[in-house]
Amino acid sequence: MSSPVGLHLGLPAMQEIYQAGLGDGRGEPGLLATHVWELLGGGRQSRRYRLATVSLEVQSRQTDAGVTVLAPSGRLDVTGAPTLKEAVTEAVKTGQPRLVIDLEGVSFVDSTGLGSVIAALKMVRSSKGDLRLAAPNQQVRVVLELTTLDRVFPYFATVEDALADF
Amino acid sequence: MTVCSRTSPRSRTRSLTSDPDPDAQPFEFHATLTRLDDGLDTLHHSVDLLRQRSGRPADDRNVILFETALAEIGSNVLIYTGKHGSGGSPVEYDLRLEADTATASFTDRGPPIHNQLTRAMPAPTSEAGRGIAIARKVLDELGYKRDGEVNHWRLVKRL
Repeated sequence: MSSPVGLHLGLPAMQEIYQAGLGDGRGEPGLLATHVWELLGGGRQSRRYRLATVSLEVQSRQTDAGVTVLAPSGRLDVTGAPTLKEAVTEAVKTGQPRLVIDLEGVSFVDSTGLGSVIAALKMVRSSKGDLRLAAPNQQVRVVLELTTLDRVFPYFATVEDALADF
Repeated sequence: MTVCSRTSPRSRTRSLTSDPDPDAQPFEFHATLTRLDDGLDTLHHSVDLLRQRSGRPADDRNVILFETALAEIGSNVLIYTGKHGSGGSPVEYDLRLEADTATASFTDRGPPIHNQLTRAMPAPTSEAGRGIAIARKVLDELGYKRDGEVNHWRLVKRL
């Protein structure tokens, strides 16, 4: 496997996460991807990394009513959560955000993934917006119950139901 | 690189079907984990194999709870071993299913984590700190032992 050289941000972690929006002609419109570079070795000034597998992609679309629908796909876990955070940050830049996170494509969520959803809620509310969750699978519903976050995030069976609630 | 193998001879040779076999040998899986992303893939893969071997559907609540706890502890172990372990030392992972009881273990050379074990579930607005609390809540047993420079984790759930 080839080992491209990546920039070093000075984070004392085994893996360092770089994010890039690919909606600039280099990828699918609205697709965000997180690039996870694994440290292979090297000194303080020059370190070698390789691109590792990512667990989450996020598609973004805007409805006619001006609601942003983010559709993560994959595992919303410790490796995937930064991608969702980045997508939410982009969505919030548009002004007063109304956001639906369509969880249909999320196969698994962990506590870090939940943290990214809580961070998203804080971000949109601080911008006078609001957020709805839609279509969680059973694992996601179980984790929301376990953590009592189902009281913070009432979720909807479909995106359409969530959109209708705004 | 993640090295994995199912150590039960029978689990290597039998095709994995959706029907549980009452005469089946205990299901066993072993992997050596060195990277967070591959390591998590391997943990989820091992639970998929356990599901197939035990004939449990994808929405089986007890398996979901076990997998959730496994991912929480596994990611903690991989992250802290990577940050603080000597030269990114590997994590040994074992999973066993016997008589409807799933038992997973991790052995790693990360820092000791005694002070995190009893952490309560944080407030709903908190963005972090739920991992071990979730694991403790859903497992029948969450064991941790520091032995010299080595951490030993044991996760048990009756399915």
